[in-house]
Amino acid sequence: MQTVPKRLAMKLNLARAPQLQPADIVPIFQRWIQQRTVPGLLIDVIDYKHVPDGPGVVLVADEADYAWDLGAGQAGLRYIRKRALPDDLSAALRLCWAGALAAAQALEAEAPGDIVFDYQLVEISYLDRLQYPNDRQVAATALAALATSLQEIFGTKLQLQRLHDDPRYLLAFHCVAGRSLADSLPSPARAD
Amino acid sequence: MTTWKERLKDEIPLEMAKLIDTYEAQMSLRQQGKMDEKVFAEARLRKGVYGQRYDNGQRHDGVRTQALAYPSEDIVKGPDTLWDAPGMQRIKIPYGGLSARQLDVLSELADEYADGILHITTRQDIQLHYVHIDDTPDLMRRLAAVGITTQEACGNSVRNITACSLAGVCHDEAFDVSPYADAMTQFLLAHDDVQDFGRKFKVAFSGCAGQACGLVKMHDLGLLAQSREVAGELQRGFTVFVGGGLGTVPHQAKALADFVTPEQLLPLTQAIARVFARLGEKKNRNRARLKFLVAKLGIDEFRSLVEAELAALPHDPRHTAYLDNVRDFVYEPAKAGLQLNGAPLPEGFDEWYRSNVYRQVQAGYSVVTLHTPLGDFTAQQGFQLADIARKYVGDNIRLTVEQNIVLRWVADADLPALCRDLRKIGLGDAHAGSIVDITTCPGTDTCKLGIASSRGLTAELRTRLIERINLLPDAVRELKIKVSGCFNSCGQHHVADIGFFGNSRRSGNHKLPHFQVVLGGQWQQNAGNYGLAVGAVPAKTVPAVLAALTERYVAERAEDQNFQSWVKQLGRKEIKAMLKPFMQLPTFEDNPAFFSDWGDSRVYTIEDIGVGECAGEVVSLFSMEISKAESTHFEALLALDDGDFRRADERAYRAMVLAARALVRTKYLDVGDDNDRIVNEFRERFYDTELVYDRFAKGKFARYLFKRHAGQPSLLDEDYAHQIIDETQLFIENIHSAEQRINGVIVA
Ligand code: HEM
Ligand code: SF4
Repeated sequence: MQTVPKRLAMKLNLARAPQLQPADIVPIFQRWIQQRTVPGLLIDVIDYKHVPDGPGVVLVADEADYAWDLGAGQAGLRYIRKRALPDDLSAALRLCWAGALAAAQALEAEAPGDIVFDYQLVEISYLDRLQYPNDRQVAATALAALATSLQEIFGTKLQLQRLHDDPRYLLAFHCVAGRSLADSLPSPARAD
Repeated sequence: MTTWKERLKDEIPLEMAKLIDTYEAQMSLRQQGKMDEKVFAEARLRKGVYGQRYDNGQRHDGVRTQALAYPSEDIVKGPDTLWDAPGMQRIKIPYGGLSARQLDVLSELADEYADGILHITTRQDIQLHYVHIDDTPDLMRRLAAVGITTQEACGNSVRNITACSLAGVCHDEAFDVSPYADAMTQFLLAHDDVQDFGRKFKVAFSGCAGQACGLVKMHDLGLLAQSREVAGELQRGFTVFVGGGLGTVPHQAKALADFVTPEQLLPLTQAIARVFARLGEKKNRNRARLKFLVAKLGIDEFRSLVEAELAALPHDPRHTAYLDNVRDFVYEPAKAGLQLNGAPLPEGFDEWYRSNVYRQVQAGYSVVTLHTPLGDFTAQQGFQLADIARKYVGDNIRLTVEQNIVLRWVADADLPALCRDLRKIGLGDAHAGSIVDITTCPGTDTCKLGIASSRGLTAELRTRLIERINLLPDAVRELKIKVSGCFNSCGQHHVADIGFFGNSRRSGNHKLPHFQVVLGGQWQQNAGNYGLAVGAVPAKTVPAVLAALTERYVAERAEDQNFQSWVKQLGRKEIKAMLKPFMQLPTFEDNPAFFSDWGDSRVYTIEDIGVGECAGEVVSLFSMEISKAESTHFEALLALDDGDFRRADERAYRAMVLAARALVRTKYLDVGDDNDRIVNEFRERFYDTELVYDRFAKGKFARYLFKRHAGQPSLLDEDYAHQIIDETQLFIENIHSAEQRINGVIVA
């Protein structure tokens, strides 16, 4: 069994560029704190839209952050699980998926038709250079374990590709499915 | 599973490793409620681990105040500061100097432990935000492995030592101050004489008097490079300034000595530190900076105290040992210096060249400034920039007090290619150092004391100014804007042409975020003059206020008249009159937008303002030192649990020595760190005099130390380890009660 990284992130990309601007996300996230729209101990909203290809606008929570992420020039929702990860990789992935999906769907509800996510692709990164340094060997082992877990979770085989081979970057994978993963297991409510 | 501690054990200098281990042990003690929260807070701050807004467990969400129920509930890392609440990690970058490898590691830490952002501060530090305290020991170890420390980045000690980012390559400097700043950093780091201050102590070096870069006049200790001719030879030295500082009550530093030689530099600094530790205010936090002591005593009296202290200073070979390094201090450019050679230039190159490139004193080389908006850049940009640095300049990277980055030793011939490469990573914008390049403190985003959103305002002004930059007259383009979120002036608003600091006003039942306008501060002449506060305007009117001010300046200024002189000429009364129309407060119903801050949709409130940690905690030197003994004792316990009896013995013995030292230092500061000497002094001063005697056990506990000091037993088994650890515990308790009996009740 693979050990669970200290932190784990999942990013869902937007299917197309929306009308909505990053600045419009700040009030949305602030309202989410008022209304506790997404799971977790929601703390604050930080705005980094002034840096190019950065974390964008982040809703910081205790266990996980939700970012309107602009990394790699691609807007999307990035869920970064920071604490209280289960010991089992599949369970950890389920948890992250539930968080990412909950936030993505809540964002779609904010601007129906404008914000649309591509649920066939998810980018997964391991924020743990101690256990998961981004080298070829670790990547190969991690990829195999991840592929197995994802298939078990979604009931479909995903194509995985390592994102960067620069050892300084986080170990990360593009994971592409043949169909939308949104309506497969598990629903956000059940997962958390 | 391996840990960072194990992984990096051969890469971290031993002394640094010990300091981090002690801190980690203190964390455990605090979590178990075995360490006083104030003492821990100060110990934590001295590791650069700072609190952040909302860490008291509540936040106003615009409608109501929500409790933030963190998982570890009521465990605190300082008074009213909850353990799990995200915090800030300040990382010292002496004189802003970074290598490519260090930049890589900082970037790795930003995306693993923080929010993916590195923030450059106004004192050439790096800050990471939203860091969990549990991650800080590993974060420090990873930094230590590349030669970076967070020791004394915050707290009541010597903060990061700053220096001109052009030092060594500048046309105006007397000589390169970098190796001196470096030597002072090393000398003062964790030095005994900087552990008992009532407040922080900031040091800056400058290579010349006329430019701004070093800002020596606004520092507790400012060192201005001078050379003079003695018997036909050029001799290096420093004019020494003391008692400057910004904050609520800004002071210009006073000259303490006109010319101090490099041999005298460190002893003099040490003597100043001693006088400050001895006589500086400890109770009233608002009057504890050195500037108040200098003002109270007068510079002449202060000078004679320092001279007396200097005369009594114990000899220390380190005072002059560094001079060899100064001689050997050289820069290694990555490339040979070559002039621009007619290669095709990227579009907009000329403009970028004008604002962002400085011709070095060394022919064929230039310094390039990279403007980072709000002082922020991403981990990804950090990696990419490290690659660019390797390609063009090697390790010649520095951070600036204007929250920018400079690459030094760029071969001129490389400028066009470098410009292209920088643009690709979003760091190639022109207009560095211009009106769009605004300095800002963290403000309400993360600072507990923030009253208005300095970053929100800066982002807004920046966006608006960039749109119009090409329409702005040169006189306006060259102005400097600096913004602080409150009167504490971390954004250095006193030394900008146009400064703003946050405050608030009331209209009806609601409060509105405001900014006090501060005009005509001087950046040049090492922050030679502070600006004039002319009135507070609602935050939302600031762009209009700025437009009104600059338009009038352009219309009315005499040719070549600068902003300072124009402000002076216009006078406070006239400027106030000009701002008056902006000061009218709407009602909430008329204009609700005025009741929210920049970049924030919540209805404004000041309820989130907390108690800042800038003043640290006033804890006695004894409390700080005995807590190190306690955490060392805790390390002994951990070693016992690991079955490492040799280490358990070594740590227990060390803990007893540290405890004895803590007590000795209440009477004799200069005991040093030699075991024999500490034990002898302890014996003579406290045991032979029976001062340390327990009412019932008499000298029994003290004898535990003597016994162990006489020699290690031949058999280091579990029973023995248990025993010495228990004895150490009793010894520390004994020291605690003796200290109280001898010195009276101490704070914390
Ligand atoms: C009473 C409390 C405080 C006072 C009087 C104070 C004062 C100052 C001053 C005067 C400076 C800058 C200029 C200089 O001397 O070089 C400074 C730097 C700074 N302050 Fe504060 N400050 C306080 C609290 C805080 C807090 C709570 C924060 C937010 C966490 C903060 C963040 C900063 C930052 C980021 C810098 C740049 C500095 C560095 O790297 O050392 N300050 N502070
Ligand atoms: S100036 Fe005020 S708001 Fe800004 S960082 Fe300093 S204490 Fe905080």
